Amino acid sequence: MHWQTVLFDVVVMPLVAFIVGLLLVLMMRRTRARLERRIGPPFFQPLYDILKLYAKEIQISHGFIHDLGIIMVVGGYITVEMFLPVPGMVGLAEKGDLIALVYLMMVPSLGMALGVGQCANPNGSIGISRALISMLGYDIPFVLVVVAAAAMYGTTSLPEIIAIQQQGGVGSWGIASMPVMALAGIITTHVMLAKEPFETYIAPAEIATGPMVEMGGKFMGGLFVVQTFQVYTAGVLFTTLFLGGGITWFDFLPKVFAVLFLPFAITILFPRYKAGEGLLWVWKWPTGIALLGLALIFTQR
Amino acid sequence: MSDKQLQIPVEPGHRAAGGTNPYRGVFDRLSDFCRARSLFLLHYCTGCGAIELPPAMTSRYDMERLGIQPMATPRQADILLVTGYVATKTLKRIMLTYEQMSAPRYVIGICSCTVNGGMYWQSYATVKKLNEYLPVDMYIAGCMPRPEAVIVGLQKLMDKIEAGRAESWKDYYRNYDYYLGKQQALFGERWQTPTDIIAEARRYDLFGPGTLGEHTALLEQYQQPLEMPSAPVFGREREKIER
Repeated sequence: MHWQTVLFDVVVMPLVAFIVGLLLVLMMRRTRARLERRIGPPFFQPLYDILKLYAKEIQISHGFIHDLGIIMVVGGYITVEMFLPVPGMVGLAEKGDLIALVYLMMVPSLGMALGVGQCANPNGSIGISRALISMLGYDIPFVLVVVAAAAMYGTTSLPEIIAIQQQGGVGSWGIASMPVMALAGIITTHVMLAKEPFETYIAPAEIATGPMVEMGGKFMGGLFVVQTFQVYTAGVLFTTLFLGGGITWFDFLPKVFAVLFLPFAITILFPRYKAGEGLLWVWKWPTGIALLGLALIFTQR
Repeated sequence: MSDKQLQIPVEPGHRAAGGTNPYRGVFDRLSDFCRARSLFLLHYCTGCGAIELPPAMTSRYDMERLGIQPMATPRQADILLVTGYVATKTLKRIMLTYEQMSAPRYVIGICSCTVNGGMYWQSYATVKKLNEYLPVDMYIAGCMPRPEAVIVGLQKLMDKIEAGRAESWKDYYRNYDYYLGKQQALFGERWQTPTDIIAEARRYDLFGPGTLGEHTALLEQYQQPLEMPSAPVFGREREKIER
């Protein structure tokens, strides 16, 4: 592969992720609004929010580590987008595989912990400890899903996984060949996006949005950018592993939006778990389902 | 000829003309455009006006369609919404909250009580005019104003922001001595907040002729370092710290 192509992909892929992520965030907010019988935000609202936060004239920083933490969060997700193949662009996905991607997806949480630590706000510390507890919870079913996908397709390379599913047709999609694993995957996606009942670490009425408690201006803007990346990454990863990815954007994007519509729509039904309860639930149900799915896959082979 | 040229007043900053200058930067226009369309509210709702805000936010009037949404902490918020009467004790918290917000920040006083004390006019413990203690961008009068009135008020503030005229937050830096004097009159001469407004005014080029004065001199006299003791201290040690 020519180095210019790689360079082009590496620059364009995070930009595409950002734009699609803005649309996904819009869908999230509009879905919620419609279910509450409201009209919801205007089309460009996610972009206005981000631009406004970056345009704040007085930016309150709590020190060097605070700045560095946010850079690590945003940078971590930008790197993740480079490893996530999309139609027409592969980026670094051939150099790194699914395992590298799973590893990189933990970097933003750690960066957040680093940055929030220096704010010295008790709510922030509680929030970040809850965020890491939540990560401890969803990482186990997530890793099981990844292992199952690697075992099923016989490879950890994301472009190859897409190619296998595209050649085999709908019957070879992950959702058809390992439906139990797909169920575990969609539940894990829900937990990963921190939607109710798993939004333990955001909890606006309880710990004042947790890690974001001291974030204003460009710091909050960075986190709003990260939200777009987070939503996009979760949707694209599920689509790649279970719904055959896509050859063109026209068959790829509807899948991503459909996958994410499910957590966005059902989240409004739930109140919030306690951090410990949520952890136990995640270790019980999605992990149990994922273990069952894994057993089914290995007995099939 | 050269004398006449010297007499032309040079006004600092691109916004000196009150936002009517057609040559304002494109970036500033874009910023104002986005600011007017994305407002994060921080509710300081200790008064009765708070009861009109849930209907304004939920399905009946839905403020999110105008880009307005509630936020949890002062750092994240743009608008400080003060509803109802402000007791002297409450005002201390409002000042702490206001100074933590990142500018541009806007203050809206809702209900008659923030305008002139309302039905608490004769109360010894209630602040009469909110704008004596911090710059208020907009008052929404009424006892209490309906959600329609709240939304119209917010839309007027949006128009002001988009025109670049909602800059009263700068007034707090430029006339800090005035506001601090009013606060000291209520809270005593030892009153101080964790935010160093004078340093911020220097850092962000908002220093004005009214920033320093007799009241800030008093503040500097009594100002203590911000580091708090790690564990609660009582008795003689406590007295030493407070002194």
